[in-house]
Amino acid sequence: MEAPPVTMMPVTGGTINMMEYLLQGSVLDHSLESLIHRLRGLCDNMEPETFVDHEMVFLLKGQQASPFVLRARRSLDRTGAPWHLRYLGQPEMGDKNRHALVRNCVDIATSENLTDFLMEMGFRMDHEFVARGHLFRKGIMKIVVYKVFRILVPGNTENTEALSLSYLVELSVVAPAGQDVVSDDMRNFAEQLKPLVHLEKIDPKRLM
Amino acid sequence: MQREEKQLEASLDALLSQVADLKNSLGSFIYKLENEYDRLTWPSVLDSFALLSGQLNTLNKVLKHEKTPLFRNQVIIPLVLSPDRDEDLMRQTEGRVPVFSHEVVPDHLRTKPDPEVEEQEKQLTTDAARIGADAAQKQIQSLNKMCSNLLEKINKEERESESGGLRPNKQTFNPADTNALVAAVAFGKGLSNWRPSGSSGPSQPGQPGAGTVLAGASGLQQVQMAGAPSQQQPMLSGVQMAQAGQPGKMPSGIKTNIKSASMHPYQRLEEASVASDSFISPAPGYLYSPTSGPHGRLNNS
Repeated sequence: MEAPPVTMMPVTGGTINMMEYLLQGSVLDHSLESLIHRLRGLCDNMEPETFVDHEMVFLLKGQQASPFVLRARRSLDRTGAPWHLRYLGQPEMGDKNRHALVRNCVDIATSENLTDFLMEMGFRMDHEFVARGHLFRKGIMKIVVYKVFRILVPGNTENTEALSLSYLVELSVVAPAGQDVVSDDMRNFAEQLKPLVHLEKIDPKRLM
Repeated sequence: MQREEKQLEASLDALLSQVADLKNSLGSFIYKLENEYDRLTWPSVLDSFALLSGQLNTLNKVLKHEKTPLFRNQVIIPLVLSPDRDEDLMRQTEGRVPVFSHEVVPDHLRTKPDPEVEEQEKQLTTDAARIGADAAQKQIQSLNKMCSNLLEKINKEERESESGGLRPNKQTFNPADTNALVAAVAFGKGLSNWRPSGSSGPSQPGQPGAGTVLAGASGLQQVQMAGAPSQQQPMLSGVQMAQAGQPGKMPSGIKTNIKSASMHPYQRLEEASVASDSFISPAPGYLYSPTSGPHGRLNNS
């Protein structure tokens, strides 16, 4: 059920295939402040944005072995913000020179009955978590520093506990396919965050 | 002759300048000690000492220089001693020696140390000779060894205290945490609340988790029954299915159970709650059934 690698497909349709370039790292709680200060200096000048999001991951179990995964995200602190549905493909491996993890990405905003719709379609929720953290931007790069909270009672986003003593740091860019120069820019930015955080491309399959 | 004289003069000049430098630095150090003793820091004292030691070193080098004639071969003899002030001498010595008289000469032109000092030195040399070459060598070696041990200890202590001081600063991230967080966000490792310790079901999924399930077929049935009336939490049943769906994590035994149950969750639930004959035999594996969809579900809940 996974789409074939996007770079193999010709662009024939009306939409441009967007890829997400991703670098991830983490920072311990006590070093969060210094990281935030550094990011405020490095990133675009804007009011520091915090967010609290509730993300639910839905699986559609098909006949194939690997299920189809959709991620639904909603904001817990911004009332009226639309829900966000995202599809992330398998990371495209192979190019060792590419410094970031690249995967196909489709984003859409939806109305509030997203979960019902997905359940009707046959999706089942696999897991959910609450993400609470800070958001920074630099040009097209988005840097998110957030803490992952485990939801103890399904559906209850008040009762959460932190998953670890670290914040996850993600540097991501959503760009049209084929723009690998973006990963060079990302790597240069990541260099500036060392030695506080080591942003690198982490293959999730390795961690299974 | 001429050449030697020239060499002598040159070396004397060099020596003179070196000694002048040394004198200056000593003077400034004394001044610092006397006047700024309350503001003085150990590093600054060390700096002064380092300066002095450097200058002494260069002095030694000048003396050992091949172009320096042996001063030992030169003799200084006072020719005229007078108790009168000598302006020239004053100028040359910067006011320190006003008179070239009998009191000044023995101190300034001395070549041998004091008699007492000479005695002590002779004593030391006889002692040293008495010990014998082997014993002396052994003593030298043990001294060297002790010094190097001490140095090593000091260095280690310095290194450890430095790294201990730096380590809390250095550890700004934990790679294990990174992996855990990435795994959690990528595929929910550690997030699902039926995994008791929060990580990896692959070990014994047959064990009953906290509050649920999946101990065996009967367990599965039971929870599905329980899930039926609480249709307002579609999540719960979905959660079981999803757990079953985790690729590669379930041993085959459980999988067969799941397969049998994976027909259609609504189908099962309908059977459990209401005897309904409206349904489906969906294609195996598909969870979506067009016919007994929303309406049936709503009725049941």
